[in-house]
Amino acid sequence: MNVALAVDLAVNGLITGLFYALMAIGLSLIFGILRIVNFAHGEFYMVGAYAYTLIALAVGLPVWISLPVAFLVGAAFGWTTERLLMRPLYAGYTSWGLMRDEYAVIVTFGLSLFLINLVDKVIGPYAYRGPTLVDVSRITLGPILISGHRLTAAIIAIVVIAITAALMKWSFWGKQIRAVAQNRLGASLAGIDTARASSIVFMLSGGLAAFAGALLSPVINASPDVGAFPAIKSYIIVVLGGMGSVPGSIIASLALGVIESFGAVYLSYDYRDAFGLGLLMLFLLFRPQGLFGEKGREV
Amino acid sequence: MSNQSASGSGEVAKPSSSKLSTAKTEIEFRVALIVLAIVALIPAIVSNPYWLGVMVVSMYFAILAGAWNLLAGYTGQFSLAPATFAMIGAYSTGLLGTYFGVPPLLGILAAILVAGLIGLVLGRIVLRLKGPYLALTTLSFAEILRLIASNSINITRGDLGLGVPGLFSSRIGWYYLFLGVLAVLLIALYALLRSKAGLFLQAIRDDEVAAARSGVDVVFWKSAAFALSAAASGFAGALYAHFAELVTPELGLIGQTGLIVSMTVIGGIGTLVGPIVGAFLVYVLSEWLRDVGGYQLVVFALLVIIFARFFRDGLWGIARFIMRRRRPA
Amino acid sequence: MSLLSVRGIVKRYGGLTAVDSVTFEVAPGELVGLIGPNGSGKTTLLNILSGHADPNAGEILLDGKSCHGLKPEQLAHRGVMRMFQLTRVFRRMNVVDNLLVAGRALGLGAAAATAQANALIEELRLGVVRDLDAGQLSGGQMKLLEFGLCFMVPPRVALLDEPFAAVHPTMKEIMGAFIRSRHESGQTFILVSHDMPVVVELCHRAICMNAGAVIADAPTRDVLSNTRVIEAYLGGHAA
Repeated sequence: MNVALAVDLAVNGLITGLFYALMAIGLSLIFGILRIVNFAHGEFYMVGAYAYTLIALAVGLPVWISLPVAFLVGAAFGWTTERLLMRPLYAGYTSWGLMRDEYAVIVTFGLSLFLINLVDKVIGPYAYRGPTLVDVSRITLGPILISGHRLTAAIIAIVVIAITAALMKWSFWGKQIRAVAQNRLGASLAGIDTARASSIVFMLSGGLAAFAGALLSPVINASPDVGAFPAIKSYIIVVLGGMGSVPGSIIASLALGVIESFGAVYLSYDYRDAFGLGLLMLFLLFRPQGLFGEKGREV
Repeated sequence: MSNQSASGSGEVAKPSSSKLSTAKTEIEFRVALIVLAIVALIPAIVSNPYWLGVMVVSMYFAILAGAWNLLAGYTGQFSLAPATFAMIGAYSTGLLGTYFGVPPLLGILAAILVAGLIGLVLGRIVLRLKGPYLALTTLSFAEILRLIASNSINITRGDLGLGVPGLFSSRIGWYYLFLGVLAVLLIALYALLRSKAGLFLQAIRDDEVAAARSGVDVVFWKSAAFALSAAASGFAGALYAHFAELVTPELGLIGQTGLIVSMTVIGGIGTLVGPIVGAFLVYVLSEWLRDVGGYQLVVFALLVIIFARFFRDGLWGIARFIMRRRRPA
Repeated sequence: MSLLSVRGIVKRYGGLTAVDSVTFEVAPGELVGLIGPNGSGKTTLLNILSGHADPNAGEILLDGKSCHGLKPEQLAHRGVMRMFQLTRVFRRMNVVDNLLVAGRALGLGAAAATAQANALIEELRLGVVRDLDAGQLSGGQMKLLEFGLCFMVPPRVALLDEPFAAVHPTMKEIMGAFIRSRHESGQTFILVSHDMPVVVELCHRAICMNAGAVIADAPTRDVLSNTRVIEAYLGGHAA
């Protein structure tokens, strides 16, 4: 095996994994708190890609402002989703009553279709190429050749992920969220505002996903269904890493990035997206709690 | 009939939202038959082959929606792979015909068996999975199969599509074939629901643990629901293959599943008539409005959200509510 | 010959021994009370008996045949019927259909099941709510319904897990009368309950557990005046 190639593949895989992590952390938190999967997660990514691209190109703001704005737009979408569609779930107002999981699947699935088709109609089905953060197209780091934008994006991603992980571990709200994830009823009895925690988690999730969409928009251009693939990747990662575990999601993201990177070259380029899917099915069948998650009890 | 509970605790029970469930199902069955009867008469008024084709595709979706409804609405297993089994059925008859010269009729039969078998296997595999885990597994299964179909260009010709012989020279033949199949499957579903199978499937949907405690063979019935649903979907897919005379991986796109789910939810999930009404409504309207501006998909998706949030029984539930309001009883 | 033989059942969860070498025999027609403070392992034992948990050691014989590895539905067919502490019924099906599920699942034909369902609805005084969805019933009515589910086909042994907990006195009456009348016809029961007056009234024999082990197994009055039992409840040797 060519060492230079291996290093290049590994580093690129890790960088891809960083972007996956931005997507997966939020989804994992949502599952930890609400025990549901948000099937509209990919659309938060899409919204971020569009927000960044359109604000930078159409409105003309500099990229360094457009980026955080994209985050905020994603957070706003996340907040709205939780407030209008998810909040009633726990208050018991939905007409589905006990079939909570199924309600979440259908409602977020519908939301996903709604957003995709809305953007398709209002903005148009054509792809928009987002502006790069840095205009240097080729940087050489040892054996690795990488674009300026990708390197910058990777660094930003590391910073954001680190801040998020730190907040989750040490901040007041981070601890509250983890308490709710462990035991919702107990947490609310202890005085924790579980509704607030859910809100924050959805906002964070939407913001991070949008951020990922924005960072990747120069490469994966903004189009209505651009979020579908990132979403599937994040579902895979959340299961692999253990639903509800942020460190698990980060590790699984990096791992998946590397696996896909090597797999595309040494196994099959066409089926590079299938590795993750295959892993997902295996894990769901034999180890649904993932690498770091907890096993639930039934009776 | 007094609404006081037996304990005399003073609690007043809400008026029933369900009569004897066999009575409820019977009403749904009759209305569904009426709808199909109306559909049968439409060619007398409409002769435009384009619109007849639209109706045929609606019936294709009605079968898929009904099959998904059996699995999700009646058994509580929310699989995201209904379109995949249609695709499996389509490729079964397509590949058998192309490489082995199997005549279409046998190809369709084979498609039912293949899809049913794969559905049975998938059902056994996902037995212990619930809610989001089940959805994710079936979603990945769907995507993997679509990728395989798309990438196996040597065998399936990928996105170019596989040519398939047609059966009829006119649309009318297809119209009544699809209608006939839809009617037969409706009757079969009705019979199933009225039998003990119907009781068991709904019990599993409501509470699997309680069902097992009561002696229901949960493994058998869940797998059976998967197999039957898949077989029916494969049947529809195979028919569609010969209708469109082309099989592509697009049949298995998640968007197709999205349509199927939307149709069922809007029509009324867990009812006999919901999927049929939903399919016709959503597909015909979306074709009709396509020329007028095309916001129909946005509206349908919004309806799915609203219905899931507020009207679980969909349009059928709303219709029943209005009917009950008008009757003074 | 005993109906139910429980021999050396052990169940551990990680480092905790929930059931510690429990052994007893139940003869046909007995109404045995299973008592003990919270956390003594009663529900775990019941879970094992009804197939919802697998023991780490020991065996269970029903009518002389081993119940090893059987799932709840298989045990139901053998005649082991379990009522849960947290009521489990089929909420989106009406009362009649709920009962029909149980009847048909255990082999009754449509007509026989319907007749039996009607009889039980009568006996449990659920007539006025028969057309309601189970989810619309009051808590007590749901309990009565679950009761009915367990007796559509008379089981070999009925395992009742705290049936009287938080239940209206009128319902207790109905349930108590039901249990008494079935018992007189030879039905075997294991009744887990904290309600001592009821245990004294209904059960001729009581088994007391504490910290996973059986500390007393004798006629009810003797058990209740057993010092070890009293200490267990008052916290002397509590888990």
